[in-house]
Amino acid sequence: MSNSIANETINHSKNKEPFSIVRLLTNTYFLNAVSLIAFFLLWDYVARERIFHDSLARPLEVVDQIVRLTQIKYAGTNLWGHIWASTQRIVIGFFLAAIVAVPLGLFMALNKYVNAIVKPLFDLFKPMPPIAWCTIAVLWFGIGETSKVFIIIIGSFVPCLLNAYNGVRLVDPELYDVIRVLGGSRRDEIFHVCFPASFPAVFAGLQISLSVAWTCVLAAELVNSREGMGFLIKRGMDTHKPELVLGGMLLIAAAAWLTSQLVSLLERKLCPWKRTIDNL
Amino acid sequence: MNTHNEPILKIRCENVSKTFIQKGNQEVPVIRNVSLDVYENEFLVVLGPGQCGKSTLLKIIAGLEMPDTGFVTLDGEPVTGPGPDRGLVFQSYMLFAWKTVRDNVELGLKLRNVPANERREIAQHYINMVGLQGFEKHYPHQLSGGMKQRVGIARAYANSPKVMLLDEPFGQLDAQTRMFMQKETTRIWEQEKRTVIFVTNNIDEALFLGDRIILMEGKLPGTIKTEYKVDLPRPREHTSMELLQMRAMITDNTELVL
Repeated sequence: MSNSIANETINHSKNKEPFSIVRLLTNTYFLNAVSLIAFFLLWDYVARERIFHDSLARPLEVVDQIVRLTQIKYAGTNLWGHIWASTQRIVIGFFLAAIVAVPLGLFMALNKYVNAIVKPLFDLFKPMPPIAWCTIAVLWFGIGETSKVFIIIIGSFVPCLLNAYNGVRLVDPELYDVIRVLGGSRRDEIFHVCFPASFPAVFAGLQISLSVAWTCVLAAELVNSREGMGFLIKRGMDTHKPELVLGGMLLIAAAAWLTSQLVSLLERKLCPWKRTIDNL
Repeated sequence: MNTHNEPILKIRCENVSKTFIQKGNQEVPVIRNVSLDVYENEFLVVLGPGQCGKSTLLKIIAGLEMPDTGFVTLDGEPVTGPGPDRGLVFQSYMLFAWKTVRDNVELGLKLRNVPANERREIAQHYINMVGLQGFEKHYPHQLSGGMKQRVGIARAYANSPKVMLLDEPFGQLDAQTRMFMQKETTRIWEQEKRTVIFVTNNIDEALFLGDRIILMEGKLPGTIKTEYKVDLPRPREHTSMELLQMRAMITDNTELVL
């Protein structure tokens, strides 16, 4: 009988088929590679033909620029120093925003009085683009680290709070009935339903916050800074070095990707029940 | 089949009415003056089409909704809220996606502070009873619909309730799985006798399972139209002569679309 109910077991064994052109052409990795190579060839062609005059560097020039940055100091700091400067701001700002915004969002969803107090303020600030705070932050905190971290906090706060709040609000109310029928209390409802059910939404919020945080740090560094990847981009523009601008962009992309992977890893550890979606 | 000579009263619903207030202060009477007795170890089926208040009646017995008038008693004590003495099985399974099969089944015991080794033993017993041995560490999304509802049944049973309340538990299953689950329900009920109130909109299911069938009126507010005693031995066959005769009788008396 256990066989008859286990009708959804997936068979993982793969049949080996002989090599053929069709199989190669429909292979996902092959198509991924074709797409990437075509992109870089096109980029190289456009740069070589000087369609943007001297404002587009060739891919290898960008790579060369990045490698050179690891060997020499640029504006007093080497490549790792610049990467670390931006990452440090992200980590501090994102962390501070998350430890306040996530619990606050959960609280708002659970308690209507907290909601009634916080929501109007939140609704007032929510539509304001975080970058709009750049200049006032400089006026308040000067051009040091504080103003940059401040903007990151402002930017990452909103998605963190919003997702935590919605995560709890969207829990199926019948799940609370289950706890009540099984003999649980309000506290059990919160710990066995609210929190675990909202975890995936909280993590989605953290991911959005993180990408907003990278946007914010870039904006803050473009406005005023002496180190960081945004500074490299700004300096590249000022000195008309497209390879430096593009190199900075690639570095930011890589750093943002890495931090986002770290959050995903944490999510997989904390939410093992979540269905994994490939390549998202 | 109920073999008691003198049936012991388990649940009594006395003149239960319930009206919901919708948006715009519109009153929707859902059930009106429902009186109902359920006896110990009886398999009672409440049969009615969609939107006839039968699920609301079950929620009132479970204590999740309070009646506007009338009352419900369990073993003579008035029902004032939900409690572990009544196990509820939901139409949409309502499993905790973040808990494994075992943790789902153990939850009621955990909430009542049963020691870990004891609750594992009890949970394993009911997991085996519903035929899910080997799936203890699976998460609900890895199971089929029928298997999910098995977990729902095991979860309710593990809390050792006096009464099992099942709210259209097989409504989301395909016809074949549904028939199979009906057989399983009979097997489980004969193995672990409980007072059961089973809500369904399916005549065949009602006849296959019930000792007694309460037929509800097919419109709001829900009232009891009539009741049938199904005095047939188990296991029953959907196609047996007696069942089909009763089916014709009930069909003549309902507005169910078949």
